[in-house]
Amino acid sequence: MSNNLQGSLQRDTSTIFMACLFIFVAVVFLWDTTHMLDSDSYVFPRAVAIAMIILSLTLIVWNLVKPRLAKGESLVEASTARRVALVAAMLVGCLAMPWLGFLIPGILTFFLLMFIAMYDQWTKKRKLLYPVIAGAIVLGFYTLFGNILQVPLPVGTLFE
Amino acid sequence: MPGIEYLFAALTPLNIMLALGGVIAGTVIGSLPGLTATMAVAVLVPITFSMEPTSALIMMGAIYTGAIYGGAYAAILLNTPGTPSAIATTFDGFPMAKKGQGDLAITVACIASVTGGLVGATFLLLLAPPLAEIALAFGPVEYFWLAIFGLTLISALSEGNLLKGLIGACFGLLLACVGIAEISADVRFIFGSQVLLGGIETVTALIGLYCIPVLIDLVATPDRHLKVDHKPRGFRFLEALAISWKAKFSLLRSSVIGTLVGILPGAGGSIAGLVAYTEARRTSKNSQNFGKGEPEGVLATESANNATVGGGFIPTLVLGIPGTPPDAVILGALLIQGIRTGPSLFTEKASIVFTFIYGLYLATFLMLPVGLVIGRYAYQTIITVPKALLVPTVAFMTMIGTYAIRNSISDVIIMIVLGVIGWILNRFGFSPSPIVLGLILGRIAEQGFVQAWTIGAATGELWKMFFGRPISLAIIAFILLSLFYPVIRSRFGKRTGEVPHVE
Repeated sequence: MSNNLQGSLQRDTSTIFMACLFIFVAVVFLWDTTHMLDSDSYVFPRAVAIAMIILSLTLIVWNLVKPRLAKGESLVEASTARRVALVAAMLVGCLAMPWLGFLIPGILTFFLLMFIAMYDQWTKKRKLLYPVIAGAIVLGFYTLFGNILQVPLPVGTLFE
Repeated sequence: MPGIEYLFAALTPLNIMLALGGVIAGTVIGSLPGLTATMAVAVLVPITFSMEPTSALIMMGAIYTGAIYGGAYAAILLNTPGTPSAIATTFDGFPMAKKGQGDLAITVACIASVTGGLVGATFLLLLAPPLAEIALAFGPVEYFWLAIFGLTLISALSEGNLLKGLIGACFGLLLACVGIAEISADVRFIFGSQVLLGGIETVTALIGLYCIPVLIDLVATPDRHLKVDHKPRGFRFLEALAISWKAKFSLLRSSVIGTLVGILPGAGGSIAGLVAYTEARRTSKNSQNFGKGEPEGVLATESANNATVGGGFIPTLVLGIPGTPPDAVILGALLIQGIRTGPSLFTEKASIVFTFIYGLYLATFLMLPVGLVIGRYAYQTIITVPKALLVPTVAFMTMIGTYAIRNSISDVIIMIVLGVIGWILNRFGFSPSPIVLGLILGRIAEQGFVQAWTIGAATGELWKMFFGRPISLAIIAFILLSLFYPVIRSRFGKRTGEVPHVE
């Protein structure tokens, strides 16, 4: 019983925290409109930002008046490290593209993500097969986009 | 039937081959996240330059039709709308796939797309000239009210928490303002960052908000991506057909909604799908199952978005105003072919127009076998590929697909960051759909509002501008109905003894 109560209070606090964050975002947008001279530029975003503040305040009051358990799944059994690694690998991969081009960071990111997402044993067969499949997928997409669909993929300043 | 003599001109072996090739190419391109129907038509349109005008038009129509349907695969199997038209397909398509019904969802989507495509083509064949007038009747203020009407759909998309949905929509509207202002061309809300200068592209946001959270959760546990039933179940065509027959009125209504929204320039398949989904949910006996894997939800959105193909061609061919973005590319290709669009096109170039419309029917019929076979292959691939290959493949597809939208690394960074924001917001009960809705409608709403405000202020009739036009008043009535429908239904339910479902 007490655990349930603690859970519900904790959840409400997080919703209130998110509402405060939205108010902060709206205030930042409102502040940015103060630099604009043309009313065509600021009328609409200002109205939306004010609406967002009012709605967020209403959400805070609602949660204070009628607290209830919000929906949310447990993070206990899931690997946060793998989650962070996935996002980091993707970000580093695309940040390297202006220097190294699309292909090399693409292949490296693919390999890195393959290791991050691997939950099975690295058997001999997998060690041989997966890199070949990975290379084929990356080269396949690279050819499709770069040569067939004529998308100008970055070459990389290091190779120009 | 008008122009029936041109039916056989459309059914030559060459045209059948072109339609088949177009549907296959469109379906494959549309299924890749980031590659929209517009891009599918744009990259393949040079192939048509050396063809006869009718054959070229048939192929372009087939590519467009296939690409809109192809978007459903990624929406159902990866929770990522392959094209913006498939946003609402994720709402019930992905939950169906999670429950092991992905194959059924794909077949249902295929039947719905074919039905929607046929209804859209029929409107184009029979009612093109009078319906084109609707496109002209819509001024800036009507577009503004239409966008506001679209925002009222949030109540259907906010998954039980209207306040959070409305806040999410406001966040989406603010995101739509980032970059260069639509009317004044001021640089706004970039906070000194070059990355944000180009604004937030809708498809970029779609991929980020829908696909990245799925990847983040997929990588965190050893569980399978989708529940798999090992018994071979074939295409499940009869089962899907029975579901479609049971929801035939919803299917037809959604197709008509898709056609009418398609006629409005700039509205597009995403809005058509959302409006049709909301209407289906509002009127369905199974409304409480919507968002949890209800096949009727997939039927509504997929029929509506494919109906926009025929609907969009109405203003394109009759007025020379593209109804949807791919129509703009096709319009350009028509001009290269020496065809001038306009009201006289249906009389002066009847052979081309009617052969094309029958070609559109042909492509839509061909979509049934093509869609079922490719869909089956896509489903089998997704459920059998090991996680260690699925995650990097989907991640790589999102990166290269997002890059291809505007050839911009900034878009890829924005996509990943938005994905993380979407994942965090989702954990706190903020669904990505209202954010995306705000992002899509933000530009339409702001442009309509500022233009209407400027015209109203200049003529000294500001209030009349917003509240004095018949179409505006009709849309306002729909807005009010949409907002107060739960209350009305609840009252009505009490009187008749029904148990209403009100969130």
